[in-house]
Amino acid sequence: MPDAAGNPGARNKLKVVSLEHKLGIHGSPTCVMQFDGATGWLVGEPHKGMAAMFTMMNNARLGVGAQGVGLAEAALQKAVAFAVDRVQGVTAEGVPGIIGHAEVRRMLAEARAEVFAARAIAAACAVAIDMANATGDAGWEARAALLTPIAKAYGTDTGCKVADIGVQVHGGMGFIEETGAAQYLRDARITTIYEGTNGIQAMDLVGRKLADGGEAAFRLIGEIETGAKAARDTLPDLAEEVWSAAESLREATEAMLAQAMNDRFAGAVPYLRAFALVLGAGLHLKAALADPARAALARVMIRRLLPDHAALIARSRDGAGDLYALSPEVLAG
Amino acid sequence: MTYRAAAADHRFILDHVVDFAQVAATDRFADATADTVAAILTEAARLCDDVMAPLNRGGDQTPARLENGVVRSSPGFAEGYRAIADGGWIGLSASPEFGGMGLPMALNTAVTDMMSGACLSLQLKPLLTQGQIEALEHHASDALKALYLPKLISGEWSGTMNLTEPQAGSDVGALRTKAAPKGDGTFAVTGQKIFITWGDCDITANHLPSGAGAAARRRARHAGHLALHGAEVPCRTRRAIPARATS
Repeated sequence: MPDAAGNPGARNKLKVVSLEHKLGIHGSPTCVMQFDGATGWLVGEPHKGMAAMFTMMNNARLGVGAQGVGLAEAALQKAVAFAVDRVQGVTAEGVPGIIGHAEVRRMLAEARAEVFAARAIAAACAVAIDMANATGDAGWEARAALLTPIAKAYGTDTGCKVADIGVQVHGGMGFIEETGAAQYLRDARITTIYEGTNGIQAMDLVGRKLADGGEAAFRLIGEIETGAKAARDTLPDLAEEVWSAAESLREATEAMLAQAMNDRFAGAVPYLRAFALVLGAGLHLKAALADPARAALARVMIRRLLPDHAALIARSRDGAGDLYALSPEVLAG
Repeated sequence: MTYRAAAADHRFILDHVVDFAQVAATDRFADATADTVAAILTEAARLCDDVMAPLNRGGDQTPARLENGVVRSSPGFAEGYRAIADGGWIGLSASPEFGGMGLPMALNTAVTDMMSGACLSLQLKPLLTQGQIEALEHHASDALKALYLPKLISGEWSGTMNLTEPQAGSDVGALRTKAAPKGDGTFAVTGQKIFITWGDCDITANHLPSGAGAAARRRARHAGHLALHGAEVPCRTRRAIPARATS
């Protein structure tokens, strides 16, 4: 506890009882803490602690989304380096490494496209937080609130997915710990769980974040469509795909709003991913307009990843009935 | 293959995809000029590549361990954390009034991304401290702010988040830890918290758990207190970072 001068004085009555053994992030000590009448000072108002705690949680959620993106970046860099060096068979274009094989190239290209999309979504969320803080504008606050669960869930899903691709690209060597590809996969796995599981992020999106009747969501979808229209002359095929996907997302959002809450929850995760793909595609399109050298990556995002939005949206509309039709006994097999 | 933080990608996204210029155009973030953004990204990338990334494998192979009640951090983590703190990275977005740089979250988010790719286990420590700084900036009394914020922002002390209990995971409202008023404005906090990332270590001089505890006689759901507990960690810290130890 701090003494009168603010320096650590007498030891407070709390201690670490044990450390957990974990799948990953071994360098980060995960403690069981015992408080035995430890002295605490009240922060904020009595009985409003949960609200204050969520101040910590909300921006930490964006931070965890960024963690996922960073892990994906590291895993992908490692996978690309391996794929350049590793020679197996003769590749179609005569490139010596396995990166010359179309299937390996597909994995790496899709991974790079999603890293960019997730990174841009996190940045868009952070800019909304900054604008809300700087201006107090309710529209920016609503934008930041809407994007936070998407940035967290999509960023960390991308971390896991790309780390998984990283292991796959390494082949058998990826399963060997010495290579280091496996560590990224093990480390990434916690990020979809802590700071609110990704399921909870999706429930937050279809629940509290649509409680405005969808106003913030529709405004963002409108901006994606405006961006697509702006790209029509330069990148007509890509622009059309993004515009059409944004329209589907608008309809899916209307359908979501028409459902009872537990029915929304049953489709929340696919809805969030559909939202992330459409938004990420819109941001890729913007990047391609600003720099033609980025159009090839935008094409991978829009032609190879964005099409999933249709299936995801279909999965978001069916309600919860079919899930509860399966008893725990049937699920146990 | 060594990790290279993606500073150029972040710069492109800020400049051409998410219109960071509108943030820099506000009074509050007028300091976030193009030169500042470039310097922040370049310096953060250098720290990630040269200091943090080389620690990542060692952290995995030599986990933090508990020795006689003392958490021993992985090899090199103390020096790595000190480099993060000395660079001012913990307080990148914190209030300048207490020693922070007051820069936008957009920059802090880019730095979090780059640092996490370098070494996620180590990056969690500043991330949690940043969360606590933010909670105190918004909700704490002036006295608590004056006492804690400068030391959290400098990295001398660090913050941890204490919410989860065995029966209260996703449902944080189910917590049982009690905070009983002691009559002098402070509370006596009793209970067990689990999964507390960087709850203690031999790196920083003081670890400050912010956590939610229910009032002793009133355990209404979602009505907990947010309490800050001044935890003193004894002199073992001196061995890790002589210059900063205060106990």
